[in-house]
Amino acid sequence: MKKTHLYKYHVEHGNVIDFGGFAMPVWYEGIKVEHAAVRNACGIFDTCHMGRTWATGPDVIRFLNYIVTNDVTTLEKNGGLYTVMCRPTGGIIDDLILYKISDEKFWVVYNASNREKDFKWLKKNSKDFDVKLKDVSDEVAMIAVQGPKAQEVLQKITEQDLEKVERFNISDLTVSGYEMMAARTGYTGEDGFELYIPDTTPENPEKALKVWNDLIEAGAVPCGLGARDSLRLEAGLWLYGNDMDESINPLEARLGWTVKLDKEGYFIGQRAIQKKKDEGISKILVGIKMEERGIPRHGYPVLNMEEEEIGLVTSGGLSPTLGYGIAMAYVPPEYRKRGTELNIQIRGKPVKGKVVKYRPFYDSSVYGWKRDK
Amino acid sequence: MTDEYKVEEGIYYTKEHEWAKKLDDGMVAVGIDDFAQAQLHEIVYVELPEMDAEVSQGEAIGAVESVKAVSDMYCPVGGKVVEVNEELLDTPEKINNDPYGEGWIAKIEPSSLDDDLGNLMDAAAYAEYLKTVSH
Repeated sequence: MKKTHLYKYHVEHGNVIDFGGFAMPVWYEGIKVEHAAVRNACGIFDTCHMGRTWATGPDVIRFLNYIVTNDVTTLEKNGGLYTVMCRPTGGIIDDLILYKISDEKFWVVYNASNREKDFKWLKKNSKDFDVKLKDVSDEVAMIAVQGPKAQEVLQKITEQDLEKVERFNISDLTVSGYEMMAARTGYTGEDGFELYIPDTTPENPEKALKVWNDLIEAGAVPCGLGARDSLRLEAGLWLYGNDMDESINPLEARLGWTVKLDKEGYFIGQRAIQKKKDEGISKILVGIKMEERGIPRHGYPVLNMEEEEIGLVTSGGLSPTLGYGIAMAYVPPEYRKRGTELNIQIRGKPVKGKVVKYRPFYDSSVYGWKRDK
Repeated sequence: MTDEYKVEEGIYYTKEHEWAKKLDDGMVAVGIDDFAQAQLHEIVYVELPEMDAEVSQGEAIGAVESVKAVSDMYCPVGGKVVEVNEELLDTPEKINNDPYGEGWIAKIEPSSLDDDLGNLMDAAAYAEYLKTVSH
């Protein structure tokens, strides 16, 4: 198993498992308390296993615009852009965030499970462009600080005024006395920051451990992958490998808003996505709330009211915040409408549910970064 | 590492970590053991067996779930389900806190108790078995 910068902390305090080849904590104290800490206060996550690459050079904007579906030219300096990149078939290779540091320098952050695949894909498709790619995943630590009190907690150990860092932007910060970059984003639905700490490796993790421990000292609760998954599910955020993969088109995954078919120049997957758009899709991602007791899980069949199988749950679980079962599932478009009644087959028995708003599942005036202050 | 799990004397265990306890009235209480609850951690949901169902030994009669995982519950003895612990619907964490007591899942009117118990482990055998179970 590969160890992250924070491995020492995980083995001493957490319940460590093999997650895609990385030794990662599922929980420290428990998923429920860690989940609640992020929804109500502040939690921190080790995200050192994720992919981080520098893309630089005179052609970097043109190159990235060719690789991803979203329009990179709309980005302003220090802005972040959520997007996907696709195969020529339109199948999703990964979802990722691009941050523009300057016209010739971008910071690219992608999924842990796709680290090697993504970098190879970027490299392979960069040949005709004047760009340099440098995978620095092991030389830069990454910690996510998440929750309505993320700013308050991080501010205690940061020199700059965090109020000035806008949602989805990236900024240079000095945290625990170290210079680093921080982006105001995350994977929980809450306000928060992702810290990118340079010049520290899994073999020389002192800097990363110092920031981690200072955050705990400042009031953050360390959280494992269990809470990370339950939080992102409540926020209706896709998990690569579950809710999207190379067999899924962005239009099916409800990621049409990240696909700019009319942007300047060709991008990989454009023709296939355009064709799908013209012909119509045969399945679409929906959110389902359970109306009866029972917890939907990845792989459970979705049935219509006639109890015919119409799809599969791609992510599911008990929402710790809402107290009932929630799921994301692919179904034929005629079932996409909110309020549509469906069944999820749980251990052979149909259990009632209905299609609901799912990005997020919770009331966004009460939870999440848009909540009423 | 086996010392961290409680093994209660006088009850019978399965390899899948269910337990069965003979009660004074001839019924058999069943549940999941301390090892099983610790592996699941933070139980959030219990699917109880159906009342009056005729079940055979080893049959899946319900499930215990944590946020992350599902564990089927296999009935350690055959017979008829005569009582289920409905308190677990609202307080499933009782299984974590007291797996051999308040965390009981169902009571079975056994149909072939002696044969069934012969297929289970007593506390001493189970304690030995736990040592072979890796994390």
